[in-house]
Amino acid sequence: MKSIIERAQSGGASRSEVYELQSMSTEVSYEANKLKGVSRTEERGVALRVVKDGRLGFSTSTKLDDPKAIAEAALATAEFGERTTFEFAGKARMPDVPTSDEKLAGLGLDDMVERPRNAIARLLDYDEEVLCDSDTERKTQTISVVTSDGLESSYERTLYRFSVGARLIEGTSILDCNAYYGGSSLDSDGSKLVARVIEDLKNGRKNAPVKGGPTTVLLTPNAVADVFMTLHYGVSGSIVERGISPLAGKLGEAVFDERISIYDDGLARGGYATAPFDDEGVPMQKTPVVEKGVLKHYLTDLRTAAKLEQPLTGNGARTKRLVMTKDLGKVPSPDITNWEMTGGDTSRDDLVSDMSEGIIVDRIMGILMSNLLAGDFSGNVALGFKVQNGKIRGRVKDTMIAGNIYKLLRDKVVAVSSDVERVGLLGFVGSHRYPYLLLSDVSVSA
Amino acid sequence: MKDRIEKLIKKHSTECDYLEVHVEETDESRVTFSGDRLDDLGKRTDFGGNVRALHKGGWGFASFNSLDRMDEFAGYAVEQARLVGDGRSELASVDTARDDVSLALERDPREVPLSEKVEKMRAYNEMALGSHDLVVNTSTVYFDRMRALWFANSEGALVRQEKMDLGGAVRPIASRGGDTQMYSASFGSSNDYGAVDGLEGEVAEAAKIAVQKLDAPKVKGGTYSVILDPKLAGVFIHEAFGHLSEGDNVYEDRKLRDIMTFGREFGRPFLNVYDTGLDAGVRGYLVYDDEGVKTEKTYLIREGKLVGRLHSRETAGKMGERPTGNARCLDYRYPPVPRMRNTVIESGEVRFEDMIADIELGVYCISAQGGQTNGEMFTFSSANAYMIRDGKVEEMVRDATLTGNVFETLKNIDAVGNDLEMADGPGGCGKAGQFPLPVTHGSPHIRIRNVVIGGE
Repeated sequence: MKSIIERAQSGGASRSEVYELQSMSTEVSYEANKLKGVSRTEERGVALRVVKDGRLGFSTSTKLDDPKAIAEAALATAEFGERTTFEFAGKARMPDVPTSDEKLAGLGLDDMVERPRNAIARLLDYDEEVLCDSDTERKTQTISVVTSDGLESSYERTLYRFSVGARLIEGTSILDCNAYYGGSSLDSDGSKLVARVIEDLKNGRKNAPVKGGPTTVLLTPNAVADVFMTLHYGVSGSIVERGISPLAGKLGEAVFDERISIYDDGLARGGYATAPFDDEGVPMQKTPVVEKGVLKHYLTDLRTAAKLEQPLTGNGARTKRLVMTKDLGKVPSPDITNWEMTGGDTSRDDLVSDMSEGIIVDRIMGILMSNLLAGDFSGNVALGFKVQNGKIRGRVKDTMIAGNIYKLLRDKVVAVSSDVERVGLLGFVGSHRYPYLLLSDVSVSA
Repeated sequence: MKDRIEKLIKKHSTECDYLEVHVEETDESRVTFSGDRLDDLGKRTDFGGNVRALHKGGWGFASFNSLDRMDEFAGYAVEQARLVGDGRSELASVDTARDDVSLALERDPREVPLSEKVEKMRAYNEMALGSHDLVVNTSTVYFDRMRALWFANSEGALVRQEKMDLGGAVRPIASRGGDTQMYSASFGSSNDYGAVDGLEGEVAEAAKIAVQKLDAPKVKGGTYSVILDPKLAGVFIHEAFGHLSEGDNVYEDRKLRDIMTFGREFGRPFLNVYDTGLDAGVRGYLVYDDEGVKTEKTYLIREGKLVGRLHSRETAGKMGERPTGNARCLDYRYPPVPRMRNTVIESGEVRFEDMIADIELGVYCISAQGGQTNGEMFTFSSANAYMIRDGKVEEMVRDATLTGNVFETLKNIDAVGNDLEMADGPGGCGKAGQFPLPVTHGSPHIRIRNVVIGGE
């Protein structure tokens, strides 16, 4: 890495930053109840940012035998690059946070084959008609950032993902239920996920018709994660800086109901996004985003913190949006780490038994196509259940849900559950912990 | 490279039923503006490969960045396949390809200096920013990706392929009082840098629509007759039917196989749908898939009836059907799975005027924000929409997200237009963690009855 910095500096760069990602992952997949494949992926690459004549240049490569070419490519782009308004990270004291799990690092291939086999066996015990898929992934990574300003930091981490899904077909009606676990350490044996899938299969066997119109809706932690994607944009330093966030200019203001508190916690124990420093080498931290309804912070990277004159929050990320995987090719920009929303007073079960009529929404399909910048979401209820007189009556299908998060969280919060659960949703695996959220007057079309 | 790969295959192929090797090198240039800021101007080089082994029906896969690791990783792939396999390997047989596919380009993006690409996009970007006071920001993206791929397998196939993928969009963003609306002018090509030329009219139109959307009311949720423009209809067929046609969704699922039998009626007699790799110039163009199988034009629906499926060699082999050249991977980090190429609703005979004439209350949905499916149900969003009242296009409405059910909605297509268009943009298709894969859609205008639209 240092040789790349040297090449860049001797080629005319006034400052440089190298980010290196080394990754080794093993994945075991089951398809239709059977072991289908094992794969192993090794990846190693670097991303270089340089400042030359006050302008920014960028290059990435997985061909590491040629540092000269990497430096030259970045220097060449700097010729037409944007004028820089920020400095790369210097030396800093990094928080001491565990990111590796010995048990996970030592997890053998036999175990990785056995765990899903047991999970699928339990699902087949419940109903021999189900077709199950499962993926188990173990990853070890080393991430390093070196700058010409004296930063030279590196950490190792382990990551684990486990998913199990079951499909039931009745006529032309297809019911897919699945659950995901992810984090920097190994979970128990996956039995929680299996129980969850079985409960959904039970509740979803029968379809229940719903009427359109304003409806009382209980969002599960999965669905909360879906609709909160709007807020990821809303509090992003880069969206705020561009003047297109509904939350721009509202720091310190009450934007939501006072029962809403949300934190971005880069140091959350076991979180998928947990690390000592972000992808620009800035120390990670726990940042209050909204506390008792009041907007506290925007999430920033080096550039947007300088531009907005706001504190650095350690959210400079080179991640593929929504899948939380590191992507060398991405220029750093603010992204969420692990989000947590504070729970309320009533248990989830009490919230359901108090519902006279409404729907529980667990999965929303198509939310990414909504106008998320404005806070709007709209999608098909891919998994949801009708509730009548406190009881689940069956699955809701061919139904749309729509709303605006800024309006709903301000005016339509009925209750926040005391249960706070790890979100088990593809894309957010292991990063967020949310309660159930009961909302009134949510628009439903059927 | 050729010798090295062939030697490796020779060494390991006796240890398993089937072995293949991919090696690729990609050079990418990218220009991104966010508002007046040049957000990303970068050059990316990606080199790597993988070995995939099949033994007794089990797959082993190993990918790497350094060729020095290729032999070691071939060993892992074989070992893993042997660990997994306890059944029968069933790959549909294909012609053994030995070929060298060079690019045939109209204008080569490699011959265009980076500065020219930056200035080209800057001009569009500034045009969008200067178009109206309410256009406060933009997202403007350009990329070109030049790839060289080697593929070889233990049956003797050896294919070297060059590919080009280029795409982008200029997206004016209008904002007022916390409300934000946008619209895109998009382009894409697999053979011509010229795709970036002449977008001035579309950029101006996109800015105008983004501003108009600020004043447009949200569509009222409910069930409507809708007309989809060619761009949205293309996304619709991709989500509504394309994914369910992918062999890996069906081949291991006996019940779904019973539902998805050839001859089953999905639409009315005037509905014809195909997926093709043969359309030179579009992003979904493909000569060989990532299993070295020559692509083709594959009919999925003919005269309303299911007639075909999109296969990898394995899904074709297991279902006893013909391989179609649809096994594709995003890059060397992933194994190939059945994916679409250019998915098209064939032109019909109905003129737009006749399609709209007898709609009392409906929605005319234009251009796509995106789409998603879970097999049976699907959803897709239009980027712009107008109410239809008494046979006429009336006021603009926004946020029209539509949903449907594959076993019902296709039958509700009661008119197919005569104005087929293909659409390319900067995005792509996502499946099994592999996103964005370059695909194209095409369709004429279509009319669908009884579509649920979400809204407040």
